[in-house]
Amino acid sequence: MRPAERESRLLETAERLVRTSPADETEVLLAEGRAMLTRFSANRIHQNVGAEEAWAVVRVVAGKRVGVATASSLRAEALDAAREAALAIARASEPSADWPGLPEPQPAKAVDAWDGATADASADRRADLAGAIIASARAKRCEAAGAVRTDDGALVVVNSRGVAAAGSQTQATVHAVATREDGAGYAEGTAVRIGDVDAGAIGRRAALKAVRSRRPRALEPGRYDVVLEPAAVAEWLEYLAWMAFSGKALEEGRSPLAGRMGEKVTGEAVTIWDNGLDRRTIPQAFDYEGMPKRRLALIEDGVAKAVATNYAVARRLGKRRSTGHALPATSAGECLPMHLFLKGGRSSARRLVAEMKRGLLVTRFHYTNILDPMKTVLTGMTRDGTFLVEDGEIASPVRNLRYTENVLEALGRMDGASRRLVLVRGPYVVPTVRIRGVQFTGTTEF
Amino acid sequence: MASGKRGNGTGKAQEETGAERKGVKELAQRACEVMAGLGVGYGDVRVREDRHESIAVKNGRPEQVTADRSAGFGVRVLVDGAWGFFASHRLEHEAVEAVVGEAVEIARASARLRGEAVHLAPVAPARAQYETPTAKDPFAVPLEEKLALLTGASRAMKGPNLKLAEAFSAAYEMRQFFESTEGARIEQRIVQTGGGIAATAIGGGDLEVRSYPNSFRGNFATGGWEYVEAMNLAGEAPRVAEEAEALLAAPPCPEGKRTILLDGGQLALQVHESCGHPVELDRVLGMELSYAGDSFLTTEKLGTFRYGSEQVTIAADATVPGGLGTFGFDDEGVPAQRTPIVEAGIFVGYLTSRETAPAIGRTSSGAMRASGWNRIPLIRMTNVNLLAGQAGRLEDLVADTDDGLLMMTNRSWSIDQKRLNFQFGVEMCREIRGGRLGQMYKNANYTGLTPEFWASCDAVCGPEAWRLWGTPNCGKGEPGQTARVGHGVSPARFRGVRVGVKA
Repeated sequence: MRPAERESRLLETAERLVRTSPADETEVLLAEGRAMLTRFSANRIHQNVGAEEAWAVVRVVAGKRVGVATASSLRAEALDAAREAALAIARASEPSADWPGLPEPQPAKAVDAWDGATADASADRRADLAGAIIASARAKRCEAAGAVRTDDGALVVVNSRGVAAAGSQTQATVHAVATREDGAGYAEGTAVRIGDVDAGAIGRRAALKAVRSRRPRALEPGRYDVVLEPAAVAEWLEYLAWMAFSGKALEEGRSPLAGRMGEKVTGEAVTIWDNGLDRRTIPQAFDYEGMPKRRLALIEDGVAKAVATNYAVARRLGKRRSTGHALPATSAGECLPMHLFLKGGRSSARRLVAEMKRGLLVTRFHYTNILDPMKTVLTGMTRDGTFLVEDGEIASPVRNLRYTENVLEALGRMDGASRRLVLVRGPYVVPTVRIRGVQFTGTTEF
Repeated sequence: MASGKRGNGTGKAQEETGAERKGVKELAQRACEVMAGLGVGYGDVRVREDRHESIAVKNGRPEQVTADRSAGFGVRVLVDGAWGFFASHRLEHEAVEAVVGEAVEIARASARLRGEAVHLAPVAPARAQYETPTAKDPFAVPLEEKLALLTGASRAMKGPNLKLAEAFSAAYEMRQFFESTEGARIEQRIVQTGGGIAATAIGGGDLEVRSYPNSFRGNFATGGWEYVEAMNLAGEAPRVAEEAEALLAAPPCPEGKRTILLDGGQLALQVHESCGHPVELDRVLGMELSYAGDSFLTTEKLGTFRYGSEQVTIAADATVPGGLGTFGFDDEGVPAQRTPIVEAGIFVGYLTSRETAPAIGRTSSGAMRASGWNRIPLIRMTNVNLLAGQAGRLEDLVADTDDGLLMMTNRSWSIDQKRLNFQFGVEMCREIRGGRLGQMYKNANYTGLTPEFWASCDAVCGPEAWRLWGTPNCGKGEPGQTARVGHGVSPARFRGVRVGVKA
């Protein structure tokens, strides 16, 4: 179904539910779409799945008491039942003295985020992409594992104050781990349009890394200069967002930026912002409260500038408007920036390595987790391509290492970044960066 | 065959359920007819409805209450020895043909890049009903009553630096009808409930959390609201708040190699990450390689590899009453069972599926579960339990330790993709000197390599200290799935472990 037709049907459904609601305030979020994923391992497709799904989130307010209920159907009886369940919750709950009301409508800019070829991609098309990755891997005598995913969805948000936002989005995402003997390499690609994803090239990148990472040598833990490729950079940004950039975390005093707005919190080379409207990301015009997306500077030249909010958190922080970063009403987290960017530099990924005397090239991290949120201390492992660099050249692959590091401080020691920014799953748009003295605290056996 | 007991719904609810049940069965039967008509090698259909209620109370008032309902059906087929799966929220007879057709089309695309044809280990097609028992159906307990319990507990947590006094509960109900082209017809209803409290103290640029009975929203089990009532959340709240305050003032855990004792909550996650995941046979065979990773426990190690000391015996048991990973049949229709994993330190078994079990010459261990109607079943942990030892209660183990650290309640976890190098952070740590608990430390962690760590286990507490822990947030697969799994453990002691890793 074409986007405009689907969006108008969803809007009608949501508007009926809002219009006929007995609650003081009502907000309805409806999402509908298809998610298809082809998974391969050892050069064969081993899992291949698809689903047509619908999701309704109904938030009602009765006397400043809020209730939320969901359904997985767009049928009237299911939606009415969800609204009834939300009302029952609101009535049993307690009034929230600082409830600011649902937000008023704000004009949103249109984004180009939907592609018919991606929406219509068949299982055969996904198998073709998987096949291209596998062929690239085979050419280097590697085995490939990974996934090809295509998503097509529409989202509408309607509330009783007049918000009526609708949008559609497609996304094609491919990732691959190639292995050969004890070597492994990773590569990925994501885009609004499936035609923009070059699966063969992704397979080649992963395979090349796998070949080069065979017979890794053990390296002592310690402090090493590192070049982090975009997937690794994105992982740190993801966790920084959770720890630092949520308005709710700031309000509760859990954010390391609490009480430090306007202060220098990291190095001057660090500028992080969120922008759902940028064509370089997977664009989104509005958030889950229907509030418009716009560019939001979070850290500028190392100085803490702002945090992301939904409407209620914005009002509790004394702001008039939401920054456009509401999560669905089901989320206890309330708000989060989801289209992060890290400013690049003037270098290139190749030159960052070439200029390094001794250090590590890290492809990506694995199983990162938070050790100390206030100090932004994370731990995690390297994975799928970790190399020792000596005198600007890759000297040898190394066994994977565990890092334990204050990442806001570590980013402050960034002494180079690529000019080119890369879109990474999430979505995040980030450069390759070089950081001095990242702490590695352990090793493993491969 | 079926175990467990029938539930205690109201007459009206049963009447409605009866009509719905008939429709569900007809839909499943129709799906199997369509699959047979299309000549699939094997096919199954799961018609499933999930309910979930989540309550969060913060600083004495309701923070968020949500009620989720999700229903649909998923069709899984083998065509030309390759898998296809498609699912729909449209629970309508008219949708069945199209959904089966999509699953078959997907399977045909899989067959283009197929390896060896999939052969399923045999299982007798079951016709059964299974239901987990509840004394108080959590969905029938009035919301006001649940909120009163949680707000009471939240208000009982006080302290000068206590910024967040949170109380949580959650309830899950899964109703599923499974039918296969082999003739299995299985109806299940599983109810799971849990809750807990957390006190967060913030000051001086530090944040310390103390939780009860476990971190990350508490502990969970199959059962009803009685499980949360028995936790005595309000009674424990003052201690939890005091400990959070005390942690803020405590020194950080010093670095070194130490003897450590793990309490039940932390040990449950240690078992989960370093034993539960690496014995999933799909991981071992590379099927999760590109996402969660594979496993160091490769198949040639089966039956011979020393995983841990003689103190370490681990079994995966989906039949333990009350376990969060307890059920009647898995999502391939294989009966719940008990599978030895580690016996006196030797690695002896995997969690398997019908597809993977033949790779080790066995039948399925019954571990395939899907997180919803819209996902395929994957090999998931059931209740992966460390069996009780002979070291008495935790107090006895402390008394038996001259010099060590007691690590309590998980705060952070990380492990490499073969499940060897791990690092866990805990909420609270206490020094042990001469068999007595002393100095409190904050921000403690420990790290190691899985087989070395389990080889260093020299004591496991006894049956009197053994209890079940629920892990409600186990992630796996693409697209992502979250499973609720269980771990029975009693506290244990490990020698020469590296602690106090600092940034």
